[in-house]
Amino acid sequence: MRRRHLLALSAGALAAPTLITSPARAAVETRELNGYRIRTFNVRPGSGSRDVACNGDGTVWFCGQRDGTLNLLDPRDGGLKVISLGPGAAPHGVVVGPDGAAWVTEGGQNSIARVDPKDHRVQLWKLNGGPANANLNTLVFDKTGTLWFTGQGGALGRFDPRTEKMQVWDAPRGYGPYGIALTPQGTVWYVSLAGNYLAQIDLASGTPRIVEPPTPQQGARRVWSDSQGRLWISEWNSGNVSMHDPRDGSWKKWKLPGEKPRCYSVYVDDRDAIWLTDFSANAVVRFDPRTETFVSFPSDKSGANVRQMAGRPGEAWGGESGTNRIVVIDKPQA
Amino acid sequence: MRFWIVAAALFAASGAARAQSCNTQAFEPCKACHALTKDAGQKPGPQLVGVIGRPVAGDPAFDYSPALRAARDKGDIWTRERLDLFLGDTEAMYPGGWMGSPPIRDAKARTDLLCVLGGP
Repeated sequence: MRRRHLLALSAGALAAPTLITSPARAAVETRELNGYRIRTFNVRPGSGSRDVACNGDGTVWFCGQRDGTLNLLDPRDGGLKVISLGPGAAPHGVVVGPDGAAWVTEGGQNSIARVDPKDHRVQLWKLNGGPANANLNTLVFDKTGTLWFTGQGGALGRFDPRTEKMQVWDAPRGYGPYGIALTPQGTVWYVSLAGNYLAQIDLASGTPRIVEPPTPQQGARRVWSDSQGRLWISEWNSGNVSMHDPRDGSWKKWKLPGEKPRCYSVYVDDRDAIWLTDFSANAVVRFDPRTETFVSFPSDKSGANVRQMAGRPGEAWGGESGTNRIVVIDKPQA
Repeated sequence: MRFWIVAAALFAASGAARAQSCNTQAFEPCKACHALTKDAGQKPGPQLVGVIGRPVAGDPAFDYSPALRAARDKGDIWTRERLDLFLGDTEAMYPGGWMGSPPIRDAKARTDLLCVLGGP
């Protein structure tokens, strides 16, 4: 086992040591269900593998919230690179930025983190406002390259990587800001789990405009846009998936199948299929908006707990935080 | 009757004093999902009033994960020691639980939180 320590030094950013452990391989298991192929990669015990982000080259970033790491999986050979984000790290969300780097809501250090795609150098920017502990959650880049992020502690913020300028605001209704999404029209929306709302952020001022979902106390946890700019929302308390169309202000909602569903996450793929996760059913659930039907993909292990999904054309990816596995569902062409 | 009224008043006063002596900031990160009162309305997680000493998965209004329901069924109680271990790594104690919080590695942070949850 070879270990290499790198130290990142960057103007305006804190430095963090990077630990790369290699070589490492994740064993893969494959099964079929409902006409789809399901592959699970046993990544690393104890990592708490959760939020994922897909690179254009086929590799996949995932957060190891439990052991403070960001990890890079190559599904072609199970190759695994492990990057420590520093003392006390507990990363929650990850996206690939316009610069090709991985950008992370690094809640353990109350910072935004950047991991360089080539040398895996880690840079950290501490939050400079808002609640003392933002409990950083999720992030998204807008079309101008500004990074927007949420914190469940009641924070809403933005960071411009070009100027390293950060602004953090207290969110309306305090605790709760969770998932955040960009629409094809360029608008940015987020949801508040404890605040029970959807909001559009004014990109100039940072001010949110709350849009009330039709179900009271629904627990809006995550949000994703489809190709038309309609917002799809996973509702934790109600067990619904709901959809808001900003063009006419309309809402629709559907209850997930089964008893007492707990709808945790939502991801909309390139064909506008809606991928949900249901903790009660221990399953990934695909919803077809055209037929209004659900297809369920229960995990083959108990307590899988997929807390977020993302993907690339034809592939839906998620992290089984409870089993330390990464899962991908696709339908290979014969 | 008068004895019980006085006793209840003294108990309430001691609880208030205890809460005041705790570092209440320790509970701040928990507030996004939990409340320390029974009248807080629906939250993403169970209410935690009187959690120390009650059974695991002991809020009747909350539908817990199978992992915590199994712990309740085998009689696990939230002792201070068990809760301390749980907060140190929830997944290590009850794998597959729904709570998504990272481990609280700092022993003092856990002690402060346990103080708020039920006393030093």
